[in-house]
Amino acid sequence: CTEYQKALKSEDIALKFTKGEELYNAGKYSKANRLFEQIIPSYRGKPQAEKLMFLNASASYEMEDFYVSSYHFERFVSAYPNSEKLEEATFKSAKSYYELSPVYSKDQAETITALEKLQEFVNIFPESQYLSEANKMVKELDYKLEKKAFEIAKQYNRISDYKASIAAFDSFIIDFPGTEFREEALFYRYDSAYQLAMKSVEYKKKERLEAAKKYYISFKKDYANSEFLEAATDKLNDIEKELENYSTKS
Amino acid sequence: QNLSYANGKKYTIANITVKGNTSFNDQTIITYSGLRKGKEILVPGEEISAAIKKLWNSNLFNDIEIYLTEVQGDAAYLEIRLSDLPELNDVKITGIKKGKKESLIKDNKLQKGVKVTENLITTTKNYLQNKYRKDGFLNTKVHINTVPVEDSIKKARVNMVLAIDKGEKVKIENINFEGNTVLSDKKLKKAMKNTKEKFFFRVLKRSKYIEDKYKEDLESVINLYKENGYRDARIITDSLIKNDNKTIDLALTIEEGEEYKFGEITFIGNTVYSDAFLKRKLRIEKGDTYNGVLLEKRIADNSSPDADDITNLYQDNGYLFSKINPVETNAEGNVIDMEIRIIEGKPVYFNKVTVVGNEKTNDHVIYREIRTRPGELYRKSNVVRTVRELSQLGYFDAEQLSPNFINANPEEGSIDMEYSVVESGSSQIELQGGYGGGGFIGTLGLSFNNFSLKDIFNKEAYKPIPSGDGQKLALRLQASRFYQTYSFSFSEPWMGGKKPVQFSTSLSHTKQFLYNPQTRDADKDKRFNITGITFGLAKRLSVPDDYFVLSQAVSFQHYNLKNYNTGLFTFGDGYSNNLAYTVGLSRDNTFNDPVFPMGGSKFSVTAKMSIPYSLFNNTDYTGLKEERENNEAIIADSNKSDLVRNEAAARVSEIDQERFKWLEFYKIKFKGDWYTKAVDKFVFKSSVEFGFLGAYNQDRGVIPFERFFVGGDGLGTYSLDGREAIALRGYPNQALSSQDGGALYNKFSLELRYPITLKQSAKIYALSFLEAGGSYDSFRGYNPFDVKRSAGFGVRIFMPAFGLLGIDFGHGFDSLPGQSQKHGWETHFIIGQQF
Repeated sequence: CTEYQKALKSEDIALKFTKGEELYNAGKYSKANRLFEQIIPSYRGKPQAEKLMFLNASASYEMEDFYVSSYHFERFVSAYPNSEKLEEATFKSAKSYYELSPVYSKDQAETITALEKLQEFVNIFPESQYLSEANKMVKELDYKLEKKAFEIAKQYNRISDYKASIAAFDSFIIDFPGTEFREEALFYRYDSAYQLAMKSVEYKKKERLEAAKKYYISFKKDYANSEFLEAATDKLNDIEKELENYSTKS
Repeated sequence: QNLSYANGKKYTIANITVKGNTSFNDQTIITYSGLRKGKEILVPGEEISAAIKKLWNSNLFNDIEIYLTEVQGDAAYLEIRLSDLPELNDVKITGIKKGKKESLIKDNKLQKGVKVTENLITTTKNYLQNKYRKDGFLNTKVHINTVPVEDSIKKARVNMVLAIDKGEKVKIENINFEGNTVLSDKKLKKAMKNTKEKFFFRVLKRSKYIEDKYKEDLESVINLYKENGYRDARIITDSLIKNDNKTIDLALTIEEGEEYKFGEITFIGNTVYSDAFLKRKLRIEKGDTYNGVLLEKRIADNSSPDADDITNLYQDNGYLFSKINPVETNAEGNVIDMEIRIIEGKPVYFNKVTVVGNEKTNDHVIYREIRTRPGELYRKSNVVRTVRELSQLGYFDAEQLSPNFINANPEEGSIDMEYSVVESGSSQIELQGGYGGGGFIGTLGLSFNNFSLKDIFNKEAYKPIPSGDGQKLALRLQASRFYQTYSFSFSEPWMGGKKPVQFSTSLSHTKQFLYNPQTRDADKDKRFNITGITFGLAKRLSVPDDYFVLSQAVSFQHYNLKNYNTGLFTFGDGYSNNLAYTVGLSRDNTFNDPVFPMGGSKFSVTAKMSIPYSLFNNTDYTGLKEERENNEAIIADSNKSDLVRNEAAARVSEIDQERFKWLEFYKIKFKGDWYTKAVDKFVFKSSVEFGFLGAYNQDRGVIPFERFFVGGDGLGTYSLDGREAIALRGYPNQALSSQDGGALYNKFSLELRYPITLKQSAKIYALSFLEAGGSYDSFRGYNPFDVKRSAGFGVRIFMPAFGLLGIDFGHGFDSLPGQSQKHGWETHFIIGQQF
């Protein structure tokens, strides 16, 4: 019968608290949390609860059980707005969501929550020591959302739904003005317009060729040195050639 | 007194005291209230109300008040007065069965320690009354008393006594109508779908009085009149008369009004469609009996999402915001002129299309299946179809899949679309052991329906297996003393991610051993091996419509026999190769749930064929056939010496080896299933199947592989020699075909299904069936009416982790081949296959 087992079975909540704290400091988070969970109801409303709840949340965080830690830190923040651990708790609650954020190609609910939480944190603690880390995380999360939207628009191009691709890239460019995918987005939007025009039914062809040409111009204006420029210009030649048919006829 | 927060005075809290009947520490309450000594507050002000609110929200206290007891300069003395809410100690329930008590406590959250509020008592009471009323206990009375517990513990605690008196179940003795001349009592009673008179033979709908349903039924009565031209009909009075404790009467007085007819029908506001076109859609002529219900249906039929009505005409062409209102302009002489006012609005285009909730499945797998894409015109039918098809992927729970319109902008004509999905387990593990075929059979099957091949070396993706790319991967090992089967299959629905061309491949290997009667074990020296590989491509077509799929496959199988002498093979040592091309055309528009389709149809035609070798390999099969017949005659002739007969037998195996070196055959199959919704939630499934195995060269003959085995549950234990187990319930497995299998079969089946539950965790449905089918050895013996018939019933359970499980009891009305009395009852267990 170890000391931990004794504490676990004991009726003495103070003993459980000290033992739990000891375990927590020794890095035995899972064991510590088992003790904490037993005594949290009894400490509700008492002054020691603040520390207890913080340790409970931190232990979950250290165990990488981020679903639980995000929730516990959030509760801590709303229960103890005057706590000296407020900054750390707010940050860790946001960071828990950051850790939960999945790969870009899956549902981004946690990414969006993480961004909101981080923004809130930066607003409340503009001088925080965690600021640079927070900013780094925001950047990473923003990148995920950009990549997601970009890949979806690009997939429409890949499955030859060029109309959808153009529309999706249009929204993408508006929604993410500073994105690092902008160059590629402009290129693929142009490519989609080009493909749409070349495969177009006759009565819409001229209009679509001209639209594609416009996309080329806006691409070239911003990215005159693009690695895609050569490919883009080749396509433009095709467009010009096709357009000649219409000018000679009229 | 008109004090606003703005003119409150500022005080510093000098002290706070707590008074009242509470077991909580004063300090605890003060801390919890958020007020503390030294804090500056406004009186009156937000801080005090915030503190009261906070204490209230703790759900621990009652009668909370905060007083300013003393003021000294700007120092304020506060007092918090409150009392603890009593805790629930014990619940006593009378009047219902013991077994129901626990669920009742759970439903109403009446656990020990809960704070007893007025609200808790009232909601519990209402809940119980409504609950029993719904079951027809109209006279249910519920009394709730609380009794304080007095003991040494200071905490306020109460015992709750719940007295339930359900009374007798109330049935409806009579429904009396008055004032109806045009429609008979009988017709009106029939219109009342959920309120029925009590009647001994009423089985499907019991007679009970449920107020909500009754109100709906009154509406139905009026609608029945409306359908018959009496648009002014109304129910003047309806009363409920209590006869005794068991029965009630319902009395309805109806004022029928007069009969009306349709007059001129004009359209206003339509620019997209002409009057004439809309009139054809409406299919109501001047002079028809006025039928408000029909008119409504032709304009907007709410009972079916893809009905042929005017609203859907607009909805399917982008006019999401269109509004169509029929207005009566003139009702002189009982002839009603109608004006159908149409506000078309702008055609709507999709702006953004998103998916949420895909925690496992990658975007690209979902977006490529979506038929509503950015920049496209809104069409309701595309939304309906997308939902249908996303559910059929099998990755998401069909019941929870919902399309949501967001950011609707009628001025610009744009809308965003969000599909909300909930992932469901799409992997199945099959691990089973059992006795069958003369020994222990163990099976290990793994099938992953949403696999991700690219993540197979990515350690992080194993939670628990790499998933999300929509690929299917299945592994299956089966072994007994007599045979072993290994198979592996993989498929990718969008090869290369560009076009919906499904690529699939499978590999398999089986070993069979003959039974050794001496050792009563498998004889490892006598074996039959089959190794096969298949590559297939399936492509979704756009013509004639895009529910069609064209599939092609090339397969190769190598059969290898060693000392395997059975009736089936005259050559015990030898081999056979089966190189075949399969082409199939199928159409599937069943919806919504693949486990329990509610409608649509599914059919497929496939042809599997080998190269017609005999056309060009210069073998004289006619000669071989004759020689074989001669030799067979010698073998059968008992007057010949053993030596001669053995020689003849050797020659027969040589000939057969020559005939089956490369299998030459063609096989044609047809299968069709139709699902139709019958009354209520009943679904009717009818299906037809047909299969034929033929030879190009009659002299070379029909091959011993690839045959049909009719009868039983249709589960193929080993189907690797191309054989096909065709289910026909009510008979033992494969009993209706001859020993070597049939070359031809047909089957007809009718099934009536009823869903018991279609929840995500387990889908259960009951079924009853009628089947008939037959297996024939050649086309000459074919008679589509010479079939074996059966009927029966059963149940299916689908659980995401286990797949489909079921049991059927079938009764065979006909005799098995070679027997004379009818077969009778047969029980079938179904694992992992759908009928």
